[in-house]
Amino acid sequence: MVLQNLLSPPVLFFVLGMVAVLLRSDLEIPAPLPKLFSLYLLLVIGFKGGVELQHSGISQQVLLTIGAAVLMSLLVPLSSYWILRRRLDAFNAAALAAAYGSISAVTFITAESFLDTSQLPYDGFMVAALALMESPAIIVGLLLVRALAPRAGDGGEKTVGGWGSVLHEAFLNSSVLLLIGSLLIGLLSSAFSPAALAKMEPFSGGLFYGALSFFLLDMGIVAAQRLQDLLRAGIFLVGFALLAPLAHALVGLGISRLLGLPQGDALLFMVLCASASYIAVPAAMRMSIPQANPSLYLSSALGLTFPFNVVIGIPLYMALVQRLIPILP
Amino acid sequence: MKRLDLIIPELELERLRRVLRRAGVPGYSVIRHVTGYGAAGEVSEGLEVSGTGANAHVLVFCAPALLESLRVELRQLLGTYGGVAYVGDAEPL
Repeated sequence: MVLQNLLSPPVLFFVLGMVAVLLRSDLEIPAPLPKLFSLYLLLVIGFKGGVELQHSGISQQVLLTIGAAVLMSLLVPLSSYWILRRRLDAFNAAALAAAYGSISAVTFITAESFLDTSQLPYDGFMVAALALMESPAIIVGLLLVRALAPRAGDGGEKTVGGWGSVLHEAFLNSSVLLLIGSLLIGLLSSAFSPAALAKMEPFSGGLFYGALSFFLLDMGIVAAQRLQDLLRAGIFLVGFALLAPLAHALVGLGISRLLGLPQGDALLFMVLCASASYIAVPAAMRMSIPQANPSLYLSSALGLTFPFNVVIGIPLYMALVQRLIPILP
Repeated sequence: MKRLDLIIPELELERLRRVLRRAGVPGYSVIRHVTGYGAAGEVSEGLEVSGTGANAHVLVFCAPALLESLRVELRQLLGTYGGVAYVGDAEPL
C-alpha cells in the first residue's frame, strides 16, 4: 500500500519537487500558478463535497462526525500547546498549536485521491468537516496567548490585532470562504440545477488529478526549502512534527471507530486530525501573534508534517483503518 | 516634497493602506511580489499560496508636514510586523 501511494503521480511529483531543491536545480514554478491551483483545488473539493452531501443528506451520523471534527480542532491545540510550551515561549507554542489543530486541505485532497485510486468510497460531508476545522484552532491559539502569555512571563504586548480582525481572518480567510462557498454552490446546484453538473464535469473532474499533481510538484519544492529551516530549529521540533501527526491520527482512529465510520471516511477523519495548516493559520498568526516566528510554525507544518502525511502517513493510516475498522455491508 | 519608501510583508498591505489614507496622503503606488533578503532571512514568493510570501514596496510622495504625522503610526506598524521605511527628498520634474 505504501508502494501504491509512493508510485502515484501526485506523490511522485511531490518527491520530484523535493529532489529538485536538494539537487539545487533551478526548477521553479512562477508564483501566481500555485495560488491559482490551490484555489482551483479548494473550489473543486468544496463543489464535489456539496454535490455528494446533497445526495447523502444530513443525518445524525453526519452531524456527529462534523461535531467530533470540530471538537478535535479545539482539543488538539490545547494538548499541543501543553507539549510545546516545555521548550518554546508562549507565542511560538500557541502559533504551532493552532497550526496543528487546524488542517491541511491538500493532505485531505491527496487522501481522497488515494481512496479514489484504491476504489474505496467516502462521503461528501467530510468536506464540511474539513471546512469547519480550519477556524476553531486559530481562535484557541489566540485565547492561549491572551490567557497564558502573561503568566508565562513572556511580557510585551500580546496581540496587536483586535478580536474583530482576528475573527474576520479566522472565519473569512480565502480558503475557508472558498471551501464553504463552493460546498453551498455544489449543494444548491445538485438540488436545483442537476443538468449544470455535467457542464462542470470537465473542470471539476477531468482536470483535477493533473492539477493536484502539478500543485504537489510546487509543494515539494516549498516543503524541501522549509525542511532546511526546520532542521536548524532543532530536534525537539523535528520530533514534534513527526510524532504529533501519528498521535493525532491514532486519536482520530479511535473516534472513527466509536462513531462507526466506514473505512474511507475513517481515513479522511484521521488525516484531518493528523494534518497541520500551512495556508490559513500562518496568515492569521502573522496578523494576530506577530511575536511568533513564522519559520517555526511554517517549517514544521510544511517541511515535515506535510511530506510525512502525504508520503508515509496516508498509507500507514489506511493500513490501521483496514486492521481496526470493519468493512460495512 | 518628500519621498517615503516602505518595504513591508504583503500580508500587511491593507493595514498600511488604512494608515496612509487616514493620514490623508495625496496618493501612493504599490509594487507587489518584492523578493530579497533581510532580517527575517530570504524573502521569496514560495509561500504565496499561504499569503505569507513576498513583500510589497509602497512609494509615497507627500509634504514634509504630512510625513511627520505619519511617523508614530508607521514606526509602530514596522516594529510589530517587520519591514523598513526610508525617507528622502524628491523634486518634481
